Amino acid sequence: MTKTILQFLMLFILLTAAQVLVFNHLCLFDVAIPLAFIYFVMRLPVTLSAIGVLTLSFLTGLTVDIFSDTAGMNALACTILGGIRKPVLKLYFPREEDLTIPEPSMRSLGVGTFMKYNINISLIYCMMFFSIEAFTFFNPAKLIMRIVASTLLTFIIIMCIDNLMDRRSEKRL
Amino acid sequence: MRNLFNFLYRFRAWIVFIIYVVISCTLLFNNNPYQRHVYLTSASRVSASIYEAGNAVTGYFHLRDINDDLQLRNAQLENEVIALRAQVKRQQLEGMYDTLTVIEPLQQYKFILATVINNSITHSNNYITISKGEMDSIRPEMGVVDRNGVVGVVNVTGPHYSRIISLLNPDFRLSCKIKGSDVFGSLVWDGKNSREALLEELPKHTVFAPGDTIVTSGYSAVFPEGIPVGIVKENARNTDDNFFTLRVTLLTDFSKLSTVRVLVNNNLEEIREIENTNNTTSNNTTRQ
Repeated sequence: MTKTILQFLMLFILLTAAQVLVFNHLCLFDVAIPLAFIYFVMRLPVTLSAIGVLTLSFLTGLTVDIFSDTAGMNALACTILGGIRKPVLKLYFPREEDLTIPEPSMRSLGVGTFMKYNINISLIYCMMFFSIEAFTFFNPAKLIMRIVASTLLTFIIIMCIDNLMDRRSEKRL
Repeated sequence: MRNLFNFLYRFRAWIVFIIYVVISCTLLFNNNPYQRHVYLTSASRVSASIYEAGNAVTGYFHLRDINDDLQLRNAQLENEVIALRAQVKRQQLEGMYDTLTVIEPLQQYKFILATVINNSITHSNNYITISKGEMDSIRPEMGVVDRNGVVGVVNVTGPHYSRIISLLNPDFRLSCKIKGSDVFGSLVWDGKNSREALLEELPKHTVFAPGDTIVTSGYSAVFPEGIPVGIVKENARNTDDNFFTLRVTLLTDFSKLSTVRVLVNNNLEEIREIENTNNTTSNNTTRQ
């Protein structure tokens, strides 16, 4: 239990640091920004209570907000993502009891299912984030470009992070 | 009463969810850029020190560009010094000491040099964090320039760090004019390209040509008159309005900011006081 908490704390620190120091400054072709810190919300154990998931996702969003001066945008999108995570996972993996490892990852869900889960969560998050950002001025073509490009980039980076995570834990076993 | 508790217990997840959404929305819509708390921005102690550590590494990446720029600038300044020396000599020879006056719009201003530790150009509201704060006598609403032109205005100050509203932020409007004329408009970023902005509300009788320089108008205590901002690119809109809207290429390259100068105006307090005694509306907060 303590080990899991420590692991998630480390993951939280690493992901937010990577997001604010590296990913926020990456802007491919002027449109695609990877929002890879949502991997933390994706990986929270399914056994965690709904309140726990919501609180942790809200705090994650708020932390990234404080660093990138986006005041509430990530917090709002992350909270909604925390609420929507479970139904999305149910769509592809109806029986949670079958999970041997409670954290959704490529190893516990299988590559195909995890990819579907990942692309869905990334798309939902990017849609929410960029729509909230577009409140200030509306430019539909650019908005759609940003959503699609950022979703793809986020998806790829999360696949890489997940791969790294599991490779590391396998080595330790 | 028990039913109420049962109800609250059953929907506890929803209630927590709604509370978080309300908190986020409060943060999101309460975004008057001048009233945000310092601890929820990048100027807070913790986040700024992390950015400073990051900047210690990433600061090296742009050194080559900055070096090129500095060399170019150095060469220009050297040329200028040579030209000025020649001029002074000529003036001395002509014995015209009395008529040699230096027109210096920045005379009443003092500079504080600061390092940019965080900077964004990809969001729709961009801010910059610098490594000087109240301890270095930086106060909100001071103007910030770099070696090429206007950068923004100080917005939130912490003890050691401050946040600047970048020119690339639609909340920030800068009163500007075309160099050599007295008609002025207001410069605002349209969120599309980090190298371009729009000069709006320019009267229809203005004479301009692409390539004209845009400078600050000096109608505020923040920037003195005549600081370069950009270069006219084209007429952006052809409508039947009574105003021109020009597309302006900005002189400052926001993707390569490293060292900026904060303008300290000694007369700021006095100007503020005079304005406040006369002012009935308070719309001068975002219009600089």
